[in-house]
Amino acid sequence: MSSKLHSSNNINHARRTVQQLRIEASIERIKVSKASADLMNYCTEHTRNDPLLVGIPASDNPFKDKKPCIIL
Amino acid sequence: MCDQTFLAATFGPCDSCGKASPLMNIYVKNEPINYCSFCVEMMACQGLQSGETLTSLKKESENLKKKLEEERGKLTDVELHQVAEKVEAVAALSIKTRRVLKGHGNKVLCVDWCKDKRRVVSSSQDGKIIVWDAFTLNKEHGVTLPCTWVMACAYAPSGCAVACGGLDNKCSVVPLSLDRNENLAAKKKSVAMHTNYVSGCTFTSSDMQLLTSSGDGTCALWDVESGQLLQSFHGHTADVLSLDLAPSETGNTFVSGGCDMKANVWDMRSGQNIQSFDSHVSDINCVKYYPSGDAFASASDDATCRFYDLRADREVAVYQKDSIVFGASSVDFSLSGRLLFAGYNDYTINVWDVLKGNRISILFGHENRVSRVRVSPDGTALCSASWDNTLRIWA
Repeated sequence: MSSKLHSSNNINHARRTVQQLRIEASIERIKVSKASADLMNYCTEHTRNDPLLVGIPASDNPFKDKKPCIIL
Repeated sequence: MCDQTFLAATFGPCDSCGKASPLMNIYVKNEPINYCSFCVEMMACQGLQSGETLTSLKKESENLKKKLEEERGKLTDVELHQVAEKVEAVAALSIKTRRVLKGHGNKVLCVDWCKDKRRVVSSSQDGKIIVWDAFTLNKEHGVTLPCTWVMACAYAPSGCAVACGGLDNKCSVVPLSLDRNENLAAKKKSVAMHTNYVSGCTFTSSDMQLLTSSGDGTCALWDVESGQLLQSFHGHTADVLSLDLAPSETGNTFVSGGCDMKANVWDMRSGQNIQSFDSHVSDINCVKYYPSGDAFASASDDATCRFYDLRADREVAVYQKDSIVFGASSVDFSLSGRLLFAGYNDYTINVWDVLKGNRISILFGHENRVSRVRVSPDGTALCSASWDNTLRIWA
């Protein structure tokens, strides 16, 4: 492997890295407090619809075994 | 090191030297050019004489990285778990194994739910794909593939086909037929061609397009009907192990994670890498979007799972414990996004509180590594696939 090809690989790679970093550095960002608040709001809004979180009655959940009727 | 393996969509005479070889299709000043990889490197060298040196480029990249850290740091006014102190803690969960799906002859590597919320497709090291009805434990379809280690499988949105891929470097689509006697393997159609193993695949919003990730370091978008490469995504410097599509409301992006410890967010139309996150210290095994599409979680061999917010462009939570020393192989969110299910190589599944950052419970049951965890589309159940040759449904 000639050293020129090896160094050109590095140069290519470095140039691509610089271009990528330029793109990333220029994006719009919001504060973590606002982002966290939005994530929290999403969670709380959808909490009651989440079967694994709040549990749904066994009759509605096809995976849970339905309790057998006991007739005294 | 030889030049990187790359996704070559065309083979033919190079525009510059005339030799027939795999061509890199690149754009220079919006003009498409098709050069062989040697000529691309030569061209890159020539561009250098105009004043750039390797050291000046390296210095600029260091400065840009510092600037990136500063910009991200400026917006970190508070941590997620601090904001989440106001939220009620999660009540004790009553999640148990409800079904055990037995039938694979070897490690189960991947599982995916159908949109009908009852069928799952699983793929295994034994080269088989099985479509199960999770309610009744019925095996509806079985396909034997010519290769072992089928690492990726996905159900089509219509429920009429499944995609699978692995060590054969291809991702194939198998249409599911209602006729049980039909040999499904004969109707298998190869769609994606990579130069290394296929680690992940998913259909986009329709049955017509397939997104794949590969050990060759690239992700690619394919047209299922023609097998044509629609877009390729270059940027990872090592094997890409996982990908996830953004939930449909938020648009055309996807996130990928790989052995270069980076998680990258991509624009599907332009092929551009929009954001990159590199806080993990080992291979990222799995990435998954948060249900709202504004964040994603990752699971890594460094025994942590991390949560990244896309609009704040930074990591906002780390899910780790000193007692957890085995790598995490897979993550998925519950329907509301409050719970994070993570499968680990110590045979357990840990359930984390996404907002507060603490572990809520541990699910025991598998007798070997958990390779994949997936929550059903309506959130009623969790399916886990394991190296103990079984799948478990938890609810």
